[in-house]
Amino acid sequence: MEAFYFGPSESYLLGVFHPRQSTSRNEAVVLCNPFGQEYLRAHKSMRRLAINLSKLGYSVLRFDYRGTGDSAGDLTGVTADHWVEDIEHAIQEAVDMAAVPKVALIGLRLGALVAAKAAKNNNQVSRLVMWDPIADGSSYLHDIISTVLEAQNQGSRSRILKADGTLHFNGFSMPLPFQENLSNLRLDDLATTVSAPIAQIVSHETEAFTNLSQQLSERSDFYYELAPAPHDWNYVDHVGGILWPKPVIDAIEAYFDQRAF
Amino acid sequence: MQEQVVMVGDDLPLVGVLSEPDPDKNSAPDTAVILLNSGVIHRVGSCRLSVTLARNLSERAGLATFRFDFSGIGDSEARRGTLTAAQAAVEEVQEVMDHLNQWKQFDRFILYGLCSGAFASYRTALCDGRVIGTVQLDGYCYQTWKSSILHYAPRILSPSRWVQFVLRKLGLVKFKKGAEVSGIEERYFEVPNFAGYPPRQEVTKGLRELNERGLSMLYVFFGNEYYKYQDQFEDCFKPVVFGDNLTVIHHPHATHILSEPEERKAVVESISDWAQDLIKHTQQPDRNGSETGHRVSLSASNEAPN
Repeated sequence: MEAFYFGPSESYLLGVFHPRQSTSRNEAVVLCNPFGQEYLRAHKSMRRLAINLSKLGYSVLRFDYRGTGDSAGDLTGVTADHWVEDIEHAIQEAVDMAAVPKVALIGLRLGALVAAKAAKNNNQVSRLVMWDPIADGSSYLHDIISTVLEAQNQGSRSRILKADGTLHFNGFSMPLPFQENLSNLRLDDLATTVSAPIAQIVSHETEAFTNLSQQLSERSDFYYELAPAPHDWNYVDHVGGILWPKPVIDAIEAYFDQRAF
Repeated sequence: MQEQVVMVGDDLPLVGVLSEPDPDKNSAPDTAVILLNSGVIHRVGSCRLSVTLARNLSERAGLATFRFDFSGIGDSEARRGTLTAAQAAVEEVQEVMDHLNQWKQFDRFILYGLCSGAFASYRTALCDGRVIGTVQLDGYCYQTWKSSILHYAPRILSPSRWVQFVLRKLGLVKFKKGAEVSGIEERYFEVPNFAGYPPRQEVTKGLRELNERGLSMLYVFFGNEYYKYQDQFEDCFKPVVFGDNLTVIHHPHATHILSEPEERKAVVESISDWAQDLIKHTQQPDRNGSETGHRVSLSASNEAPN
């Protein structure tokens, strides 16, 4: 494993590269994180997934988007499209480091939505794997705002700062420009324009997941799997407990093991 | 400010990020602040607090900082051995100090931690004289008679608490702890396995030793269940005459993971201010002298909610 900074100097990104550990596959993998508290709680799962895939022969790059984790700055002035750019930098970095022509994207929650946009028209993307994807940016924001308002009634201090519209949720802030940009992203629009094969691997069933899988099932290269596992990434306790949904991690690993490109 | 990823150790290295101030803004080229993990959250810290603090210390206080993952946490691979997690943490902080000393010639360190990170900073300070200051967020503290009254009185007067108490005694309601509270199956949810608090006498002895050594200590307590009033820390450790070495700040309306942006900002700024004062008052020529302590700040905040 190698950790380093890459990308433009004004928006440098923390990357962690896991070189392939066995038979070389002609494809690398880039992992795309979710937002906020979900990112913190998913770190262990993403790392374990990276290690397991590297043992299957895939070189894997994990990274933090700008304004998150160890990467540059905060989210002031950042939009979801900047995260799409960050994924594009990560794809190029993975291609260079692994010396492969193609990269698979695995996105968790919001990471799946921005990964779908990055996969659109990018001929270096070999496939897109959506793990419990956020299907609609606008609905995602609506859900957060509803949760915040509900929690406020129970004494929580998560809130929307009305002066500038910044959303504060579970200890993380999302400024208005990010929200406005994100609310325009929808997987049903994006996924149809992605030419690479798509997999949807989910830990539970929702109406949004079902609608998306029905829409994508017309594609011959679509793969769907339900791997029941805990999925409350926004559960926050006072000691920083970490979700560890092993069944869905195993399912993604099995998908990559059985379906090499 | 510049940041770089650093791997400490050849075999199963500890992964961290060094933040260095611009050379013309470096206030103490011999001193680094080391930020420790809290529980099982990786080095960015609860609500990204460690990153925010590290950059603030570099940019505002002109100090180099190093945030890293203990072995088995975040990006650092687990190491095998016979030490307890608490003992291994001390060894690993010392390993990091050795590395930073050899590489960057830092020979004085300030240790920062929240919760289990605070406990590790305290224990490391006890066995390593290179540590000149600790910043402990919700560090070791125990009940006093006053905090007990403040803690239990509202419960005694609360009918719903009595109902819960009776139901628990009858076995009709289970007292939940750890992963059980989450409602998530334990095998799918990892929570820190905290060692119990050491006896109060042991911590009192340790604090007396650190105080006599001249260690500067900043304690910040949040609105947790057991820290109830501004002076609880000093009341708790009354046998220790802290003098000028101790600063205590109480944020009664902040949560343990510091999820509120204004509280987080206030805590980060007060730590930066404290560190700047510490550096100002501990120049290298004094380091080997007889000075045993200095006043960093007498004031303690007891802020109203924003």
